[in-house]
Formats: sequence, C-alpha cells, structure tokens
Amino acid sequence: MNAEFLAFSILSVFAIGGAVFFLNAGKVMHMAIALAFTFFSLAGIYLLLQAEFLAVVQVLVYAGGISILMIFGIMLTKPEEGAPSRSFQYHQWISLATVTGFFVIIMTIIYQTPILTPAGKETSASVKSIGSILFKNYAIPFELASILLLVALIGAIVLARKEQK
Amino acid sequence: MLSYAWTIPLFPLFAFVVQLLLRTKGNKKLVSSLGVVLTFLSFVFSVYLVVHSLVWNQTIPEWKVNWLHIGANVVTVGASFTPIQVAMLFIVSLVSCLVQIYSMGYMKEDKRSNTFFAYLSLFTFSMLGLVIAPNFLELYFFWELVGVCSFLLVGFYFYKESAKQAAKKAFIVTRIGDVGLFIAICLLFWEVGSFDFDVVKQAVDANQLSSGMITLIAILIFVGAIGKSGQFPLHTWLPDAMEGPTPVSALIHAATMVAAGVFLVAETFWLFEESSTALAIVSYIGGFTALFAALIALTQTDIKRVLAYSTVSQLGYMMLGLGSLGLSSGFFHLLTHAFFKALLFLAAGAVIVAYSHEQDIRKMGGLWKQQRWLGIAFLIGAFSIAGIPPFSGFFSKDEIFLAVFQSGRYDLFVAALLAAFCTAFYMFRLFYLVFAGKVTKEKTKTLSWHFKVPIWILALFSVIAGFLQYPKHLISGWLDETTQTALWWIPVVVTLMAVFGIFLAYAVYQKRWVSAHTLAKLSGIGYRLSYRKFYIDECYEALFVWSLKGLGWILMGWDRFFVGGIALFMKSMPIQLSEMSSRIQNGQVQRYILISVIGLLLLLLSITVGRFIS
Amino acid sequence: MYLTSYLALAAILFCIGLYGILTKRNAVMLLFSVELMLNAVNLNLVAFSRLGFYPNVEGQIFTFFTITVAAAEAAVGLAILIALYRKKETAEADQYNSMKG
Repeated sequence: MNAEFLAFSILSVFAIGGAVFFLNAGKVMHMAIALAFTFFSLAGIYLLLQAEFLAVVQVLVYAGGISILMIFGIMLTKPEEGAPSRSFQYHQWISLATVTGFFVIIMTIIYQTPILTPAGKETSASVKSIGSILFKNYAIPFELASILLLVALIGAIVLARKEQK
Repeated sequence: MLSYAWTIPLFPLFAFVVQLLLRTKGNKKLVSSLGVVLTFLSFVFSVYLVVHSLVWNQTIPEWKVNWLHIGANVVTVGASFTPIQVAMLFIVSLVSCLVQIYSMGYMKEDKRSNTFFAYLSLFTFSMLGLVIAPNFLELYFFWELVGVCSFLLVGFYFYKESAKQAAKKAFIVTRIGDVGLFIAICLLFWEVGSFDFDVVKQAVDANQLSSGMITLIAILIFVGAIGKSGQFPLHTWLPDAMEGPTPVSALIHAATMVAAGVFLVAETFWLFEESSTALAIVSYIGGFTALFAALIALTQTDIKRVLAYSTVSQLGYMMLGLGSLGLSSGFFHLLTHAFFKALLFLAAGAVIVAYSHEQDIRKMGGLWKQQRWLGIAFLIGAFSIAGIPPFSGFFSKDEIFLAVFQSGRYDLFVAALLAAFCTAFYMFRLFYLVFAGKVTKEKTKTLSWHFKVPIWILALFSVIAGFLQYPKHLISGWLDETTQTALWWIPVVVTLMAVFGIFLAYAVYQKRWVSAHTLAKLSGIGYRLSYRKFYIDECYEALFVWSLKGLGWILMGWDRFFVGGIALFMKSMPIQLSEMSSRIQNGQVQRYILISVIGLLLLLLSITVGRFIS
Repeated sequence: MYLTSYLALAAILFCIGLYGILTKRNAVMLLFSVELMLNAVNLNLVAFSRLGFYPNVEGQIFTFFTITVAAAEAAVGLAILIALYRKKETAEADQYNSMKG
C-alpha cells in the first residue's frame, strides 16, 4: 500500500461521496455544495495523474466558476419542493434499472479489457509542453474555443435579458 | 318499296325523338297527333306488306347488315318478314294507332301527356322492332326494350305508391323470365355459332343439336315467354300492372307486349316441334294458367283486374294451343284476342272515365241506359271472348280445342272447357254489374269521338277477324300448316259451355234467382281462395321476399359486425398505437433522455452479449 | 496504480450523473448533472493521457477544450433556464412539456 493508492482511495471516496450526497440532498443548495466538493476531489485526482495545470484549471473553472454560476441560477429561480407524481416515481424506477444496467455493462467492459500500461514510459506533462502543443498544434481549435466562449457570453446575455415591450 | 320494309319501326322512333324534345313545351294536341300520324304511316306500310305477303303470297326480301365479327362468326342486324311477322306487324301497328287515338281523349287532362305519348311511341317502335327481328340477339334487345317501356308506363303515375310498386314488380318478375331467354340465346350461340333464326333452324333440321339440348333451349325460351306473357308461376305482375293508365293496359298488357311471349314461341315453333317434352310443358302450363286465372277472375271486383286475369287466362289458351301442335290455332287466338281484349280494355277505360275514374264494379250499374253504344261495344267484346258464334273468339277457341283434343291430352281439354265456362261467367258478371241493374250514377260523362272511333274499329275487327279461318283456312295457309279436319261436336260443346256460363251470370246478377252470396258460400273455401288470388302473392312474399330479406339481414349482420368490426379494428388499432406512442411523447426532456439511454443500453447489450457468448 | 481504477471511478461518476439527469426535477440540478458527467469524461481523458498505451499530452489538451465547452454550455444553459423560468414561473423540468405530442 503506497501513498498514491491511499491518496487515490481517499479522493475517490470523497468524489463519489460528494456525488451521492448531490443525489440525495434535501435542499438544492446542499446539492450544489456537494457537487463542488466532488469537483475539488477530481482536481486532487488530476494532481495524482500529474496534470497540475489541469488541476488548477479544474478548481478555477468548475469549483469556482461553474458552481458559483449554478448557485446564482438556484437563487434566481425558486426551487419548488412538491411531491413527485406517480408517473414520475415509475420513471425513477425505470431510470434506476437502466442506469444500473448501463453501469454493469461499462464495468464489465472495463474489467474484461486487458489494459496494458507500458512501464517507464510515463510522460510528465509540464505546463510548458502543454502550452507549446496547445499553441502550435491546436492554435485554430484554441481560437475557435475563444470564439465559442464569446458567443456563449453574448448568447447568455441575450437569452437571460428581460424582454422589452 | 318492299325492300324498304325495314323502315316500319323507324316512324314511331322518329315520333318518339320529336315528342321527347317537345316534352315540356310542346302543344299537347300536336305532340299526340304526331305519334298517331306516324304510327298510322307504319300501319299503312304494314297493310301494304300484308297485301303483298299474305294476299298475293310474295316473299318479302330480308334486309341484313353485318354488325360484328366474332372470330369466324358474324352477328347481323336486319329485318325479316315471314307471314307470321307480317301479321303481327299488322296487329301491333293497328292496335297501337287506335290506342294512341284513344289516349288523345283519355289523357287529355293529364299534365304529362306529352311524356306519355313519347313512351307510347317508344313502345310502338320497340314492339315493331321485336316483331321484325330476324335473329335472337336483336329480338332480345327489343324484348328488353318493351320491358322498359312497360316499366315506364306502368309507373307512369309514379307518385302513387301502388303504381311504383307495380312497376317495379312488373320489371323484376319479367326479368326472371328474361334470364331464361338469355341463357337459351347463349346456349344457342354456343351450339350453333349464330343468332339468326334461319341458321339455327337449319342446324336443328340437320340434327346438329342433341335432343336434350333442344329440349333445354326450348324450355328456357319458354321461360322467357312465361315471364313476358304472364304464365302461371310468373303471372303475378300482370294484374298489378293495371296500375298504369288504361290505354297502356289495352296496348301493352293485353294486345301486344304480353303476346310477345306467345309470338316468340310461335316464331321458334320449329324448335319446340323437335321436343315433345317442351311441347308438353308448354301445353300444361298454358292449360293450367287458363283455368287458374279464369277462376281468380270470377271474384275480382276491380274492372281492370278482371280483364287482366282474363288476359292471363287467354294467353294460357294460346300457349295451350301452341303446345298442342296447333301453331295456327295459337297464333289465330293471339290475333283475335288482340282485337277483342283491346276492345274490352278500351271499353273498360271508357266506363272508368264515365264513372270519373271509379274502378270498383260493385259501385257501377245501369250504364246501358246512359251509354248504350258503349254497352253494345262491350257486349261484342264479351261475346267474342266467351266464344259465341259468329264472333272471332269462337273460331279461334274452337281451333285450340280441336288441337288439344287431337293431341290426346283429354285432361287439358276438360280444364280448357271449364276455363271457357268461367270466362263466359266472369265476363257477363262484369257486363251485368256494370251495364245492367240500378243506375248508380245519375250523370255519367259523355265521351268524345276519341273514345268512340277506336272502340268501334276494334269491335268491327272483333266481329270479322274470325272469318280468316272460316270458311277458308287462311292463317294455316300462311303458316304452311295442314288444316286439321274439324270435329262437328267441339264447337257445339264449347258454345254450350259459354252459353251456360252466360246463363248463370244472367241468373245470378240480372234476375237474382240465386244470390251471389249463396254461391260464394256454396263454394266454401273456393271463393276465398279465388278472391285472394290463391295466395300466390303471399306465397311469393313468404318464399322469396322474406327468405331473401332474411338472407339480407344475415349478410347485413355479417357486414356490420364482422366486416365492420375488422374495419373498426383497423381504425382503432392505429389510433390506440398512436395514443400509446403519444403518451411516450409527453414533452418532458427526461422521458426522452431515458428512452435514448434505454436505446443505448440495448445497443451496448447487443454488441457485448454476442462477444461474451462467443 | 492501474488505469482500471481511474476508469472505474469515472464510470461510477458518469452513472451517478446520468441518474441525476434522468431523475432530478430541478432544472438547475440537471445542468449540474451534466457537468458531473463531463467531469467523468475528463477524468477518462486525463487517465488515458497519463497511463494509456500511448501516453500523450494531447489528452490534457482535449480536457481543456471540454472544460471550455462545458463552461460555455453552463452559461447558455443557465440563460435559457432563466428565460424559461420567466415564462413558466417554475424551474421544475417536468413542467416544461409544451412539446407534448
């Protein structure tokens, strides 16, 4: 049992626990916070995988940006807590069965597939190498991504703006 | 001139077309006169032919045009003029012309008289065409055409429910017989390959057809004749057809169209001669009908119905004569009957008009004092039909009795004698009830010359037509038949029967020595049977109408519940399916996602499971 | 450490996200679930880029793009949600059924 495994175990328990809490929390706000916790745990897992830059980005974008955005969303809308209709319960059971089936298949595939990891071939992705590949090989997708963000920004403003009569 | 003889039917056809065009706007007098004049032209032409053919014994050339080529067979249309056809032409055109003159008076006040005259012209055309047809196909066309005219004219007062029903009945019942005729024609064409009378006759003479086939064809032709001539099983339409105007009854349902059946048998007599079975059937059905209809006529109270049953009975006589190998006797009776029955009907029509369209004879009486001329004319007709010498009916009936006696069917001879007695009785019952007795209506309508002229002309013919066969056998000569030696006692017996019938009628209805009620009681159930026409209509109602209706109901149930059920299922199944699928499409995103995830799951399963199994 | 463990973790997270998407009634939570699923995918990408048969930095590059798209999606999705909320007066996803057949 080495330190990496220990760290992985703790982080994954946190991540899964956060996700499960997200599913079962009674209040909407608790759900959001639980999910933010999961995002943090994932950032830790990225660190384990030696993707430091990505871990930072994860914390910035997800745990910071998106979670806060969602909390704004929750606060802007009034969450209603009504009893779900009968057809909805029905729907829940089917969903559970389907997702379980899906999970079993995926897990079977994962554990049935022989995955070879060549030892000693591990590459460390430094911020420098990432930057060089991103701006050399993926310059155009990068620019496109920035346009996408711009469009999303403007689109969000247009959509969320109150209609003037 | 003789080679243009085929134009005879075209005169009334022309009249029909013009009358049809002038139907709504035309001057009534003009339209009716047009029909009379053109029919008269046909009549004149017919007389010309009669003179050539029957008096001077010339053969009138056939006229023939190729119409269709069916493989090697050629179907022709044309006209032929054998003596029997020429004689028939004469009768039809004469009676038609007279009836049209009569109708000018009878239909004077009818709003649709122009239509009526157009129909009459169409009928005259069809009947003349029927008469001169040289082949079965053409005959069948005109045969159906006169049926249509009969339908139109019986249903002339179509706003009357009874007239509508009668027209339908006449059309449908005669159609049953026509099917028989049609099958016979098909069989003949199949066997011989031609419709022409000549060709078929040669084939029959050359023994090309088996005797069974000849019998079958002859019987089927006779079935057609049964329908048209109102013989026993199919006679029910004829009395009902009296719903039409009286001139129509006189022309179509007494003198000409109903005689077409007899004419058909006479024209194809060479076929019947080959089959003794067919002849026996013809004579037995004819004899039975003669007696049967006469019995019904005894008790009827509607003046036209009495005459209608009398017509059925007389047509039975003609069939009886034909069936007993007496071609000339049957045809002779057809000829005389055309005259005296048309006379009787026209006289009855005049009586009806005089009593302001009252047809029940129990409400009539004493007309002799008011309209003596009509009484005399009616009396001539009655004497003629009863068979009192020297009126025409006596001679023709005498011939039929002779033929029957010599054919050796004594049962039929007795039946015919009984029928003759009944005929005399019901005719004079009619005469005494209408003309004698107390005056029931003080002022009867005076009748114009339109009524008088045709009636007197027909009366004249009723008197003299009998002398065609006596002392010289002219008709037998035309038909190339050897005259049979007359038996002296037959006319005596026939006349005695008639006189006895007349005397009984005189005793019951004039002197009232015996009350009619006593007679009715004496006959027991017989009176009831006769009055209700032997329940034939009711039998048909029960046998055919109800059974067909039952079948119809069953089929309707089948249609409604089984076929309709399938249709309903086919309708509701897609609706149910679409409702089910629309329940899935409830517009909720999560439902859609679930469905697509299930789809993905199935896809994954189908990919992986196969992998695991192998 | 084996790749399998990371993949299993990613699968668990993905399935939880999927279940959330299918059953959560609050529309904001739906968006959250989507983010969770995207994170699971990111985890896969990063794990493969580090421990895959051909270890490669490009897996991380892809993750950046995914994060970018996820951020854009979250922004637009929330904007649509708010517009919808204004119209329907509710954030319940099962009330958004005006496309009902």
